[in-house]
Amino acid sequence: MKIIAVTSCPTGIAHTYMAAEALQIAAKEMGHEMKVETQGSVGAENVITEADLKSADAVILAIDTNIDKSRFQGIPVVEASVKDAIKDAKGLITKALAAKPVSARVDYAEETNGNGGKSKSGIYKHLMTGVSFMIPFVVAGGLLIAFSFAFGIHAADEEGTLAAALMTIGGSAFGLMVPILAGYIAYSIADRPGIVPGMVGGIIANSLGTGFLGGLIAGFLAGYVILAIRKVIKLPKSFEGLMPVLILPVISTLVVGLILIFVLGGPVKSINDAMLAWLDGMSGTNAVVLGGILGIMMAADMGGPINKAAYTFGAATIAQGEPSGVMAAVMAAGMVPPLAIALSTVLAKNKYTLEEREAGKANWALGASFITEGAIPFAAADPLRVIPSMMVGSAVAGALSMLFGATLAVPHGGIFVLPIPNAVGNLPMYILAIVVGSAVGGLMLTALKKKKA
Amino acid sequence: MFSRERVTFNLKSETKKDVIDELIDILIADGKVSDKEAFRAAVLHREEEFSTGIGMGIAIPHGKSDAVNEASIVFGRSDAGIDYESMDDLPAHLFFLIAVPMESSDLHLRALSEISRNLMHKEMRDQLMSCQTYEEFINAFK
Repeated sequence: MKIIAVTSCPTGIAHTYMAAEALQIAAKEMGHEMKVETQGSVGAENVITEADLKSADAVILAIDTNIDKSRFQGIPVVEASVKDAIKDAKGLITKALAAKPVSARVDYAEETNGNGGKSKSGIYKHLMTGVSFMIPFVVAGGLLIAFSFAFGIHAADEEGTLAAALMTIGGSAFGLMVPILAGYIAYSIADRPGIVPGMVGGIIANSLGTGFLGGLIAGFLAGYVILAIRKVIKLPKSFEGLMPVLILPVISTLVVGLILIFVLGGPVKSINDAMLAWLDGMSGTNAVVLGGILGIMMAADMGGPINKAAYTFGAATIAQGEPSGVMAAVMAAGMVPPLAIALSTVLAKNKYTLEEREAGKANWALGASFITEGAIPFAAADPLRVIPSMMVGSAVAGALSMLFGATLAVPHGGIFVLPIPNAVGNLPMYILAIVVGSAVGGLMLTALKKKKA
Repeated sequence: MFSRERVTFNLKSETKKDVIDELIDILIADGKVSDKEAFRAAVLHREEEFSTGIGMGIAIPHGKSDAVNEASIVFGRSDAGIDYESMDDLPAHLFFLIAVPMESSDLHLRALSEISRNLMHKEMRDQLMSCQTYEEFINAFK
Protein backbone atom coordinates (compact mmCIF):
# COMPACT_ATOMS: atom_id res chain seq x y z
CA MET A 1 0.00 0.00 0.00
CA LYS A 2 1.16 3.53 -0.63
CA ILE A 3 0.43 6.18 1.93
CA ILE A 4 1.09 9.88 1.63
CA ALA A 5 1.24 12.19 4.59
CA VAL A 6 1.67 15.83 5.51
CA THR A 7 3.12 16.90 8.83
CA SER A 8 3.04 20.46 10.10
CA CYS A 9 3.33 21.97 13.58
CA PRO A 10 3.01 25.62 14.66
CA THR A 11 6.70 26.46 15.02
CA GLY A 12 7.79 24.02 12.35
CA ILE A 13 11.13 23.36 13.96
CA ALA A 14 11.04 19.93 15.52
CA HIS A 15 7.69 18.14 15.73
CA THR A 16 6.99 18.38 12.03
CA TYR A 17 10.09 16.35 11.33
CA MET A 18 9.75 13.96 14.24
CA ALA A 19 6.25 13.08 13.12
CA ALA A 20 7.49 12.60 9.57
CA GLU A 21 10.26 10.29 10.71
CA ALA A 22 7.94 8.36 13.03
CA LEU A 23 5.51 7.77 10.16
CA GLN A 24 8.30 6.61 7.89
CA ILE A 25 9.72 4.23 10.47
CA ALA A 26 6.29 2.77 11.20
CA ALA A 27 5.45 2.37 7.52
CA LYS A 28 8.73 0.59 6.87
CA GLU A 29 8.08 -1.83 9.71
CA MET A 30 4.59 -2.52 8.44
CA GLY A 31 5.78 -2.96 4.87
CA HIS A 32 4.02 0.03 3.34
CA GLU A 33 5.37 2.72 1.09
CA MET A 34 5.26 6.15 2.73
CA LYS A 35 5.95 9.64 1.47
CA VAL A 36 5.78 12.51 3.93
CA GLU A 37 5.60 16.15 2.93
CA THR A 38 6.90 18.32 5.75
CA GLN A 39 5.52 21.84 6.05
CA GLY A 40 7.91 23.37 8.53
CA SER A 41 9.70 26.65 8.97
CA VAL A 42 11.83 26.00 5.88
CA GLY A 43 8.67 25.70 3.83
CA ALA A 44 7.27 22.58 2.23
CA GLU A 45 9.79 19.83 1.54
CA ASN A 46 9.45 16.48 -0.14
CA VAL A 47 6.31 17.88 -1.72
CA ILE A 48 3.57 15.44 -2.74
CA THR A 49 3.32 15.33 -6.51
CA GLU A 50 0.50 14.63 -8.86
CA ALA A 51 1.88 11.13 -9.41
CA ASP A 52 1.88 10.52 -5.64
CA LEU A 53 -1.75 11.57 -5.42
CA LYS A 54 -2.72 9.23 -8.22
CA SER A 55 -1.02 6.20 -6.70
CA ALA A 56 -1.81 6.88 -3.05
CA ASP A 57 -4.09 4.49 -1.17
CA ALA A 58 -4.51 6.70 1.87
CA VAL A 59 -3.58 10.09 3.30
CA ILE A 60 -2.45 10.91 6.82
CA LEU A 61 -2.55 14.54 7.87
CA ALA A 62 -0.62 15.02 11.09
CA ILE A 63 -1.14 18.73 11.38
CA ASP A 64 -1.64 21.41 13.99
CA THR A 65 -1.86 24.16 11.41
CA ASN A 66 -4.20 24.92 8.54
CA ILE A 67 -3.23 23.35 5.29
CA ASP A 68 -4.99 23.13 1.96
CA LYS A 69 -6.71 19.76 1.88
CA SER A 70 -8.47 20.13 -1.46
CA ARG A 71 -5.82 18.17 -3.33
CA PHE A 72 -6.64 15.03 -1.33
CA GLN A 73 -10.25 14.93 -2.44
CA GLY A 74 -11.30 11.37 -3.17
CA ILE A 75 -8.51 9.68 -1.24
CA PRO A 76 -9.22 8.25 2.23
CA VAL A 77 -7.93 10.82 4.70
CA VAL A 78 -7.16 10.49 8.38
CA GLU A 79 -6.53 13.70 10.27
CA ALA A 80 -4.63 13.79 13.51
CA SER A 81 -2.37 16.09 15.45
CA VAL A 82 1.40 16.01 15.11
CA LYS A 83 1.78 14.40 18.49
CA ASP A 84 -0.53 11.53 17.53
CA ALA A 85 1.88 10.68 14.74
CA ILE A 86 4.85 10.75 17.08
CA LYS A 87 3.03 8.74 19.73
CA ASP A 88 1.29 6.12 17.62
CA ALA A 89 2.32 6.24 13.98
CA LYS A 90 1.34 2.62 13.38
CA GLY A 91 -2.15 3.21 14.72
CA LEU A 92 -2.59 6.13 12.32
CA ILE A 93 -1.45 4.05 9.38
CA THR A 94 -3.90 1.27 10.24
CA LYS A 95 -6.67 3.82 10.59
CA ALA A 96 -5.79 5.50 7.29
CA LEU A 97 -5.81 2.23 5.36
CA ALA A 98 -9.24 1.39 6.79
CA ALA A 99 -10.69 4.83 5.98
CA LYS A 100 -13.13 5.43 3.15
CA PRO A 101 -12.86 8.29 0.69
CA VAL A 102 -15.40 11.06 1.25
CA SER A 103 -15.83 12.03 -2.36
CA ALA A 104 -14.73 11.13 -5.84
CA ARG A 105 -11.10 11.63 -6.65
CA VAL A 106 -10.27 14.85 -8.47
CA ASP A 107 -7.46 15.16 -10.85
CA TYR A 108 -4.58 17.08 -9.42
CA ALA A 109 -4.19 18.94 -12.70
CA GLU A 110 -6.97 21.25 -11.58
CA GLU A 111 -4.88 22.52 -8.71
CA THR A 112 -1.63 22.89 -10.59
CA ASN A 113 -0.70 25.14 -13.43
CA GLY A 114 2.14 23.20 -14.86
CA ASN A 115 5.10 24.95 -13.31
CA GLY A 116 6.46 22.15 -11.23
CA GLY A 117 3.43 21.29 -9.14
CA LYS A 118 3.12 24.67 -7.47
CA SER A 119 -0.43 25.12 -6.32
CA LYS A 120 -2.61 27.40 -8.40
CA SER A 121 -2.48 31.11 -7.78
CA GLY A 122 -3.64 32.11 -4.32
CA ILE A 123 -6.45 34.24 -5.64
CA TYR A 124 -8.13 31.27 -7.27
CA LYS A 125 -7.80 29.22 -4.10
CA HIS A 126 -9.32 32.00 -1.98
CA LEU A 127 -12.17 32.38 -4.44
CA MET A 128 -12.89 28.66 -4.39
CA THR A 129 -12.89 28.55 -0.61
CA GLY A 130 -15.49 31.30 -0.48
CA VAL A 131 -17.60 29.77 -3.23
CA SER A 132 -17.49 26.34 -1.69
CA PHE A 133 -18.86 27.67 1.60
CA MET A 134 -21.47 29.73 -0.21
CA ILE A 135 -22.99 26.97 -2.37
CA PRO A 136 -25.10 25.30 0.35
CA PHE A 137 -26.58 28.66 1.32
CA VAL A 138 -27.58 29.33 -2.29
CA VAL A 139 -29.12 25.90 -2.71
CA ALA A 140 -30.98 25.94 0.62
CA GLY A 141 -32.22 29.51 0.19
CA GLY A 142 -33.11 29.11 -3.47
CA LEU A 143 -35.05 25.87 -3.12
CA LEU A 144 -36.98 27.06 -0.08
CA ILE A 145 -38.00 30.23 -1.91
CA ALA A 146 -39.01 28.09 -4.87
CA PHE A 147 -41.17 25.93 -2.58
CA SER A 148 -42.84 29.09 -1.38
CA PHE A 149 -43.74 30.02 -4.98
CA ALA A 150 -45.29 26.59 -5.36
CA PHE A 151 -48.08 27.74 -3.06
CA GLY A 152 -48.94 30.47 -5.52
CA ILE A 153 -47.12 33.54 -6.67
CA HIS A 154 -48.57 35.83 -4.01
CA ALA A 155 -48.95 33.17 -1.31
CA ALA A 156 -45.98 34.47 0.64
CA ASP A 157 -47.59 37.93 0.96
CA GLU A 158 -50.04 36.56 3.49
CA GLU A 159 -48.47 36.59 6.92
CA GLY A 160 -48.53 33.50 9.09
CA THR A 161 -48.78 31.07 6.21
CA LEU A 162 -46.33 28.29 5.45
CA ALA A 163 -45.51 30.02 2.17
CA ALA A 164 -44.55 33.20 4.03
CA ALA A 165 -42.41 31.18 6.45
CA LEU A 166 -40.64 29.43 3.58
CA MET A 167 -39.98 32.81 1.98
CA THR A 168 -38.53 34.14 5.25
CA ILE A 169 -36.33 31.08 5.76
CA GLY A 170 -35.11 31.02 2.18
CA GLY A 171 -34.58 34.77 2.22
CA SER A 172 -32.51 34.49 5.40
CA ALA A 173 -30.27 31.90 3.76
CA PHE A 174 -29.93 34.21 0.76
CA GLY A 175 -29.07 37.09 3.06
CA LEU A 176 -26.07 35.12 4.30
CA MET A 177 -24.89 34.20 0.82
CA VAL A 178 -22.70 37.23 0.13
CA PRO A 179 -21.43 37.57 3.74
CA ILE A 180 -20.39 33.91 3.72
CA LEU A 181 -18.69 34.32 0.36
CA ALA A 182 -16.78 37.37 1.56
CA GLY A 183 -16.06 35.92 4.99
CA TYR A 184 -14.55 32.71 3.71
CA ILE A 185 -12.54 34.40 0.98
CA ALA A 186 -11.00 36.48 3.77
CA TYR A 187 -10.62 33.34 5.91
CA SER A 188 -8.70 31.67 3.12
CA ILE A 189 -6.37 34.66 2.86
CA ALA A 190 -5.87 35.59 6.49
CA ASP A 191 -7.15 32.61 8.46
CA ARG A 192 -9.57 33.09 11.36
CA PRO A 193 -9.14 36.85 11.80
CA GLY A 194 -10.40 37.30 8.23
CA ILE A 195 -13.89 36.09 9.08
CA VAL A 196 -15.03 39.15 11.01
CA PRO A 197 -14.12 41.89 8.50
CA GLY A 198 -15.06 39.56 5.63
CA MET A 199 -18.55 38.77 6.87
CA VAL A 200 -19.27 42.30 8.04
CA GLY A 201 -17.97 43.58 4.70
CA GLY A 202 -20.25 41.10 2.94
CA ILE A 203 -23.28 42.38 4.83
CA ILE A 204 -22.35 45.95 3.97
CA ALA A 205 -21.94 44.95 0.31
CA ASN A 206 -25.42 43.42 0.51
CA SER A 207 -26.95 46.55 1.93
CA LEU A 208 -25.17 48.72 -0.63
CA GLY A 209 -26.78 46.58 -3.32
CA THR A 210 -23.51 45.57 -4.92
CA GLY A 211 -24.46 41.95 -5.45
CA PHE A 212 -21.90 39.19 -5.26
CA LEU A 213 -19.24 41.21 -7.07
CA GLY A 214 -19.20 43.60 -4.09
CA GLY A 215 -18.91 40.51 -1.88
CA LEU A 216 -15.83 39.42 -3.77
CA ILE A 217 -14.32 42.85 -3.29
CA ALA A 218 -15.21 42.83 0.42
CA GLY A 219 -13.69 39.38 0.92
CA PHE A 220 -10.39 40.12 -0.74
CA LEU A 221 -10.20 43.53 0.86
CA ALA A 222 -10.81 42.05 4.33
CA GLY A 223 -8.21 39.32 3.87
CA TYR A 224 -5.48 41.64 2.69
CA VAL A 225 -6.32 44.30 5.26
CA ILE A 226 -5.67 41.70 7.99
CA LEU A 227 -2.36 40.74 6.40
CA ALA A 228 -1.41 44.42 6.20
CA ILE A 229 -2.32 45.10 9.82
CA ARG A 230 -0.22 42.13 10.90
CA LYS A 231 2.71 43.62 8.99
CA VAL A 232 2.30 47.16 10.21
CA ILE A 233 1.35 46.72 13.85
CA LYS A 234 3.94 44.96 15.94
CA LEU A 235 3.08 44.65 19.61
CA PRO A 236 5.51 43.84 22.40
CA LYS A 237 5.36 40.19 23.42
CA SER A 238 3.34 40.83 26.56
CA PHE A 239 0.56 42.53 24.57
CA GLU A 240 0.47 40.02 21.73
CA GLY A 241 -2.68 38.48 23.17
CA LEU A 242 -4.56 41.66 22.28
CA MET A 243 -3.93 41.15 18.58
CA PRO A 244 -6.55 38.47 17.79
CA VAL A 245 -9.24 39.63 20.24
CA LEU A 246 -9.01 43.39 19.97
CA ILE A 247 -6.67 44.92 17.41
CA LEU A 248 -7.30 42.75 14.37
CA PRO A 249 -11.11 42.53 14.50
CA VAL A 250 -11.75 46.17 15.41
CA ILE A 251 -9.29 47.83 13.06
CA SER A 252 -9.83 45.51 10.11
CA THR A 253 -13.62 45.76 10.30
CA LEU A 254 -13.43 49.54 10.60
CA VAL A 255 -11.10 49.89 7.64
CA VAL A 256 -13.05 47.49 5.43
CA GLY A 257 -16.39 49.04 6.36
CA LEU A 258 -15.23 52.59 5.71
CA ILE A 259 -13.69 51.71 2.37
CA LEU A 260 -16.82 49.86 1.24
CA ILE A 261 -19.23 52.57 2.31
CA PHE A 262 -17.31 55.59 1.11
CA VAL A 263 -15.44 54.20 -1.89
CA LEU A 264 -17.69 51.47 -3.24
CA GLY A 265 -21.08 52.78 -2.14
CA GLY A 266 -21.09 55.92 -4.31
CA PRO A 267 -20.32 54.32 -7.68
CA VAL A 268 -22.76 51.46 -7.08
CA LYS A 269 -25.65 53.82 -6.53
CA SER A 270 -24.70 55.98 -9.48
CA ILE A 271 -24.40 52.93 -11.75
CA ASN A 272 -27.87 51.86 -10.71
CA ASP A 273 -29.32 55.36 -11.21
CA ALA A 274 -27.57 55.88 -14.52
CA MET A 275 -28.74 52.51 -15.84
CA LEU A 276 -32.33 53.22 -14.85
CA ALA A 277 -32.25 56.63 -16.49
CA TRP A 278 -30.69 55.14 -19.60
CA LEU A 279 -33.35 52.42 -19.80
CA ASP A 280 -36.11 54.99 -19.40
CA GLY A 281 -34.69 56.83 -22.39
CA MET A 282 -34.76 53.62 -24.42
CA SER A 283 -38.52 53.19 -24.25
CA GLY A 284 -39.01 54.09 -27.89
CA THR A 285 -36.35 51.82 -29.35
CA ASN A 286 -36.76 48.57 -31.16
CA ALA A 287 -38.34 46.06 -28.77
CA VAL A 288 -36.06 43.18 -29.76
CA VAL A 289 -32.95 45.29 -29.13
CA LEU A 290 -34.35 46.41 -25.78
CA GLY A 291 -35.03 42.75 -24.84
CA GLY A 292 -31.46 41.84 -25.70
CA ILE A 293 -30.06 44.73 -23.68
CA LEU A 294 -32.22 43.84 -20.69
CA GLY A 295 -30.96 40.26 -21.00
CA ILE A 296 -27.34 41.38 -20.94
CA MET A 297 -28.04 43.53 -17.91
CA MET A 298 -29.84 40.78 -16.00
CA ALA A 299 -26.84 38.50 -16.32
CA ALA A 300 -24.11 41.12 -16.01
CA ASP A 301 -23.82 41.15 -12.23
CA MET A 302 -26.64 38.90 -11.01
CA GLY A 303 -28.05 40.90 -8.14
CA GLY A 304 -25.72 43.87 -8.48
CA PRO A 305 -26.68 47.40 -9.57
CA ILE A 306 -26.99 46.59 -13.29
CA ASN A 307 -29.24 43.59 -12.73
CA LYS A 308 -31.35 45.54 -10.26
CA ALA A 309 -31.79 48.41 -12.71
CA ALA A 310 -33.07 46.03 -15.38
CA TYR A 311 -35.39 44.28 -12.94
CA THR A 312 -36.74 47.53 -11.49
CA PHE A 313 -37.34 48.82 -15.01
CA GLY A 314 -39.19 45.62 -15.90
CA ALA A 315 -41.26 45.52 -12.71
CA ALA A 316 -42.24 49.19 -13.20
CA THR A 317 -43.85 48.38 -16.55
CA ILE A 318 -46.43 46.12 -14.88
CA ALA A 319 -47.13 48.46 -11.99
CA GLN A 320 -50.52 49.29 -13.50
CA GLY A 321 -51.39 45.60 -13.60
CA GLU A 322 -50.95 45.51 -17.35
CA PRO A 323 -49.08 42.52 -18.78
CA SER A 324 -45.84 43.74 -20.31
CA GLY A 325 -43.38 42.49 -22.86
CA VAL A 326 -40.52 44.11 -20.98
CA MET A 327 -41.26 42.18 -17.80
CA ALA A 328 -41.50 38.95 -19.78
CA ALA A 329 -38.08 39.59 -21.30
CA VAL A 330 -36.59 40.39 -17.91
CA MET A 331 -37.88 37.20 -16.32
CA ALA A 332 -36.84 35.05 -19.26
CA ALA A 333 -33.35 36.54 -19.08
CA GLY A 334 -33.20 36.00 -15.33
CA MET A 335 -34.17 32.35 -15.64
CA VAL A 336 -31.49 31.61 -18.20
CA PRO A 337 -28.23 31.75 -16.15
CA PRO A 338 -29.01 28.91 -13.68
CA LEU A 339 -30.58 26.81 -16.44
CA ALA A 340 -27.63 27.35 -18.77
CA ILE A 341 -25.21 26.37 -16.02
CA ALA A 342 -27.24 23.29 -15.12
CA LEU A 343 -27.16 22.32 -18.79
CA SER A 344 -23.43 22.88 -19.00
CA THR A 345 -22.71 20.72 -15.91
CA VAL A 346 -24.58 17.89 -17.64
CA LEU A 347 -22.94 18.43 -21.04
CA ALA A 348 -19.38 18.55 -19.74
CA LYS A 349 -19.09 16.69 -16.45
CA ASN A 350 -15.31 16.81 -16.63
CA LYS A 351 -15.25 20.60 -16.59
CA TYR A 352 -16.82 20.91 -13.15
CA THR A 353 -15.90 19.74 -9.67
CA LEU A 354 -18.12 17.23 -7.96
CA GLU A 355 -19.49 19.99 -5.74
CA GLU A 356 -20.32 22.12 -8.77
CA ARG A 357 -22.09 19.23 -10.50
CA GLU A 358 -24.26 18.74 -7.44
CA ALA A 359 -25.01 22.47 -7.30
CA GLY A 360 -25.78 22.23 -11.03
CA LYS A 361 -28.68 19.89 -10.31
CA ALA A 362 -30.24 22.39 -7.92
CA ASN A 363 -29.83 25.04 -10.61
CA TRP A 364 -32.51 23.38 -12.77
CA ALA A 365 -35.04 24.15 -10.04
CA LEU A 366 -33.58 27.57 -9.25
CA GLY A 367 -33.57 28.67 -12.88
CA ALA A 368 -37.10 27.39 -13.42
CA SER A 369 -38.16 29.48 -10.41
CA PHE A 370 -36.47 32.68 -11.71
CA ILE A 371 -33.93 32.55 -8.89
CA THR A 372 -30.93 33.87 -10.79
CA GLU A 373 -28.78 33.64 -7.65
CA GLY A 374 -28.23 29.93 -8.36
CA ALA A 375 -25.68 30.99 -10.94
CA ILE A 376 -23.69 33.13 -8.52
CA PRO A 377 -21.34 30.47 -7.13
CA PHE A 378 -20.34 29.57 -10.68
CA ALA A 379 -19.96 33.20 -11.69
CA ALA A 380 -17.91 33.99 -8.60
CA ALA A 381 -15.60 31.04 -9.19
CA ASP A 382 -14.90 31.80 -12.83
CA PRO A 383 -16.35 35.22 -13.68
CA LEU A 384 -14.54 35.80 -16.97
CA ARG A 385 -15.98 32.69 -18.60
CA VAL A 386 -19.32 32.42 -16.85
CA ILE A 387 -20.60 36.00 -16.96
CA PRO A 388 -20.11 36.60 -20.72
CA SER A 389 -21.78 33.25 -21.51
CA MET A 390 -24.70 34.13 -19.27
CA MET A 391 -24.98 37.60 -20.82
CA VAL A 392 -25.21 36.10 -24.31
CA GLY A 393 -27.74 33.42 -23.28
CA SER A 394 -29.89 35.92 -21.40
CA ALA A 395 -29.71 38.42 -24.25
CA VAL A 396 -30.98 35.77 -26.66
CA ALA A 397 -33.84 34.86 -24.32
CA GLY A 398 -34.76 38.52 -23.75
CA ALA A 399 -34.64 39.39 -27.45
CA LEU A 400 -36.64 36.31 -28.49
CA SER A 401 -39.24 36.94 -25.81
CA MET A 402 -39.73 40.42 -27.25
CA LEU A 403 -39.68 39.15 -30.82
CA PHE A 404 -42.42 36.63 -30.08
CA GLY A 405 -44.44 39.31 -28.33
CA ALA A 406 -44.60 37.37 -25.07
CA THR A 407 -45.97 39.29 -22.11
CA LEU A 408 -46.01 38.82 -18.35
CA ALA A 409 -48.35 40.27 -15.74
CA VAL A 410 -46.47 39.36 -12.55
CA PRO A 411 -42.97 40.36 -11.43
CA HIS A 412 -41.73 36.97 -10.25
CA GLY A 413 -42.35 33.25 -10.03
CA GLY A 414 -40.71 31.46 -12.97
CA ILE A 415 -42.56 28.37 -14.16
CA PHE A 416 -45.01 28.64 -11.27
CA VAL A 417 -46.76 31.55 -12.99
CA LEU A 418 -46.86 29.95 -16.42
CA PRO A 419 -49.99 27.85 -15.77
CA ILE A 420 -51.90 30.81 -14.29
CA PRO A 421 -54.46 31.93 -16.86
CA ASN A 422 -53.62 35.27 -18.46
CA ALA A 423 -50.37 35.68 -16.57
CA VAL A 424 -48.32 35.03 -19.67
CA GLY A 425 -49.06 36.07 -23.19
CA ASN A 426 -47.95 33.75 -26.02
CA LEU A 427 -46.94 31.01 -23.57
CA PRO A 428 -45.49 28.36 -25.94
CA MET A 429 -43.18 30.83 -27.66
CA TYR A 430 -42.20 32.33 -24.30
CA ILE A 431 -41.05 28.89 -23.12
CA LEU A 432 -39.19 28.48 -26.40
CA ALA A 433 -37.38 31.78 -25.83
CA ILE A 434 -36.20 30.59 -22.41
CA VAL A 435 -35.15 27.19 -23.73
CA VAL A 436 -33.20 28.66 -26.65
CA GLY A 437 -31.51 31.25 -24.43
CA SER A 438 -30.50 28.56 -21.94
CA ALA A 439 -29.18 26.32 -24.69
CA VAL A 440 -27.11 29.14 -26.22
CA GLY A 441 -25.70 30.19 -22.81
CA GLY A 442 -25.05 26.59 -21.79
CA LEU A 443 -23.28 25.69 -25.02
CA MET A 444 -21.16 28.82 -24.97
CA LEU A 445 -20.16 28.21 -21.35
CA THR A 446 -19.34 24.58 -22.09
CA ALA A 447 -17.11 25.66 -24.96
CA LEU A 448 -15.32 28.30 -22.87
CA LYS A 449 -14.88 26.28 -19.68
CA LYS A 450 -11.56 24.57 -19.21
CA LYS A 451 -11.33 20.87 -18.53
CA LYS A 452 -10.86 19.88 -14.91
CA ALA A 453 -9.58 16.42 -15.71
CA MET B 1 24.79 23.77 16.47
CA PHE B 2 26.23 21.78 19.35
CA SER B 3 29.20 22.72 21.44
CA ARG B 4 31.09 21.26 24.38
CA GLU B 5 29.94 24.16 26.56
CA ARG B 6 26.30 23.37 25.95
CA VAL B 7 26.23 19.67 26.73
CA THR B 8 25.67 18.32 30.21
CA PHE B 9 25.09 14.76 31.35
CA ASN B 10 24.10 15.71 34.82
CA LEU B 11 21.02 17.91 35.02
CA LYS B 12 20.11 18.80 38.61
CA SER B 13 16.53 20.01 38.22
CA GLU B 14 13.59 17.95 39.33
CA THR B 15 10.67 19.83 37.79
CA LYS B 16 9.75 20.91 34.29
CA LYS B 17 9.95 24.58 35.17
CA ASP B 18 13.38 24.24 36.75
CA VAL B 19 14.87 22.21 33.97
CA ILE B 20 13.82 24.80 31.40
CA ASP B 21 15.55 27.46 33.49
CA GLU B 22 18.63 25.31 33.96
CA LEU B 23 18.92 24.74 30.22
CA ILE B 24 18.35 28.42 29.40
CA ASP B 25 21.03 29.43 31.90
CA ILE B 26 23.50 27.37 29.90
CA LEU B 27 22.59 29.35 26.78
CA ILE B 28 22.96 32.64 28.66
CA ALA B 29 26.34 31.64 30.06
CA ASP B 30 27.47 30.76 26.55
CA GLY B 31 26.27 34.11 25.18
CA LYS B 32 23.79 32.63 22.72
CA VAL B 33 20.76 34.35 24.21
CA SER B 34 20.76 38.00 25.21
CA ASP B 35 17.45 38.33 27.04
CA LYS B 36 16.61 35.46 29.34
CA GLU B 37 13.04 36.53 30.12
CA ALA B 38 12.09 37.08 26.50
CA PHE B 39 13.47 33.75 25.41
CA ARG B 40 11.91 31.91 28.32
CA ALA B 41 8.56 33.45 27.44
CA ALA B 42 8.90 32.08 23.90
CA VAL B 43 9.75 28.62 25.18
CA LEU B 44 6.92 28.56 27.70
CA HIS B 45 4.50 29.85 25.09
CA ARG B 46 5.42 26.90 22.93
CA GLU B 47 4.96 24.49 25.85
CA GLU B 48 1.46 25.87 26.38
CA GLU B 49 0.37 24.73 22.94
CA PHE B 50 1.27 21.24 23.94
CA SER B 51 4.16 19.78 25.89
CA THR B 52 7.30 19.19 23.87
CA GLY B 53 7.81 16.10 25.99
CA ILE B 54 7.25 13.82 23.04
CA GLY B 55 7.61 10.60 25.00
CA MET B 56 10.33 7.97 24.71
CA GLY B 57 12.22 9.93 27.36
CA ILE B 58 12.77 12.93 25.10
CA ALA B 59 11.85 16.55 25.53
CA ILE B 60 12.64 19.23 22.99
CA PRO B 61 11.65 22.60 24.41
CA HIS B 62 12.25 25.24 21.78
CA GLY B 63 11.74 28.90 21.17
CA LYS B 64 12.05 31.36 18.33
CA SER B 65 12.90 34.82 19.59
CA ASP B 66 14.72 38.04 18.81
CA ALA B 67 16.65 37.43 22.01
CA VAL B 68 18.52 34.57 20.36
CA ASN B 69 21.86 35.59 18.87
CA GLU B 70 22.65 32.42 17.01
CA ALA B 71 20.78 29.18 16.39
CA SER B 72 22.01 26.74 18.98
CA ILE B 73 21.08 23.67 20.94
CA VAL B 74 21.66 22.75 24.56
CA PHE B 75 21.72 19.07 25.38
CA GLY B 76 21.12 17.92 28.92
CA ARG B 77 20.58 14.50 30.42
CA SER B 78 18.94 13.60 33.67
CA ASP B 79 19.55 9.98 34.63
CA ALA B 80 16.94 10.25 37.37
CA GLY B 81 14.36 11.54 34.93
CA ILE B 82 12.10 14.60 35.21
CA ASP B 83 8.34 14.75 34.94
CA TYR B 84 7.91 16.84 31.79
CA GLU B 85 4.18 16.27 31.23
CA SER B 86 5.23 14.01 28.41
CA MET B 87 2.75 12.41 26.04
CA ASP B 88 3.45 8.95 27.39
CA ASP B 89 3.38 10.17 31.01
CA LEU B 90 6.88 8.77 31.59
CA PRO B 91 9.72 10.90 32.90
CA ALA B 92 11.99 12.59 30.35
CA HIS B 93 15.73 11.95 30.39
CA LEU B 94 17.06 13.57 27.23
CA PHE B 95 16.55 17.29 26.82
CA PHE B 96 17.30 19.32 23.74
CA LEU B 97 16.64 23.00 24.20
CA ILE B 98 16.56 24.57 20.78
CA ALA B 99 17.03 28.31 20.37
CA VAL B 100 16.33 29.89 17.01
CA PRO B 101 16.53 33.60 16.14
CA MET B 102 13.50 35.23 14.47
CA GLU B 103 15.43 35.44 11.22
CA SER B 104 17.27 32.19 10.87
CA SER B 105 18.92 30.62 7.90
CA ASP B 106 17.47 27.57 6.23
CA LEU B 107 20.74 25.81 6.98
CA HIS B 108 20.12 25.93 10.70
CA LEU B 109 16.50 24.94 10.39
CA ARG B 110 17.45 22.00 8.20
CA ALA B 111 20.05 20.87 10.71
CA LEU B 112 17.40 21.00 13.42
CA SER B 113 14.99 19.02 11.35
CA GLU B 114 17.67 16.36 10.82
CA ILE B 115 18.33 16.13 14.53
CA SER B 116 14.61 15.86 15.21
CA ARG B 117 14.35 13.03 12.72
CA ASN B 118 17.32 11.23 14.25
CA LEU B 119 15.71 11.22 17.66
CA MET B 120 12.89 9.04 16.43
CA HIS B 121 15.30 6.13 16.02
CA LYS B 122 15.76 3.90 19.02
CA GLU B 123 19.50 3.21 18.47
CA MET B 124 20.06 6.94 18.57
CA ARG B 125 18.26 7.34 21.87
CA ASP B 126 20.11 4.40 23.40
CA GLN B 127 23.45 5.94 22.48
CA LEU B 128 22.43 9.28 23.95
CA MET B 129 21.40 7.59 27.18
CA SER B 130 24.75 5.88 27.58
CA CYS B 131 27.31 8.39 26.31
CA GLN B 132 29.66 9.92 28.86
CA THR B 133 31.76 12.40 26.90
CA TYR B 134 31.12 15.17 24.40
CA GLU B 135 32.92 13.10 21.74
CA GLU B 136 30.63 10.13 22.28
CA PHE B 137 27.67 12.47 22.17
CA ILE B 138 28.67 14.02 18.85
CA ASN B 139 29.42 10.59 17.44
CA ALA B 140 25.87 9.53 18.06
CA PHE B 141 24.76 12.04 15.42
CA LYS B 142 27.18 10.82 12.81
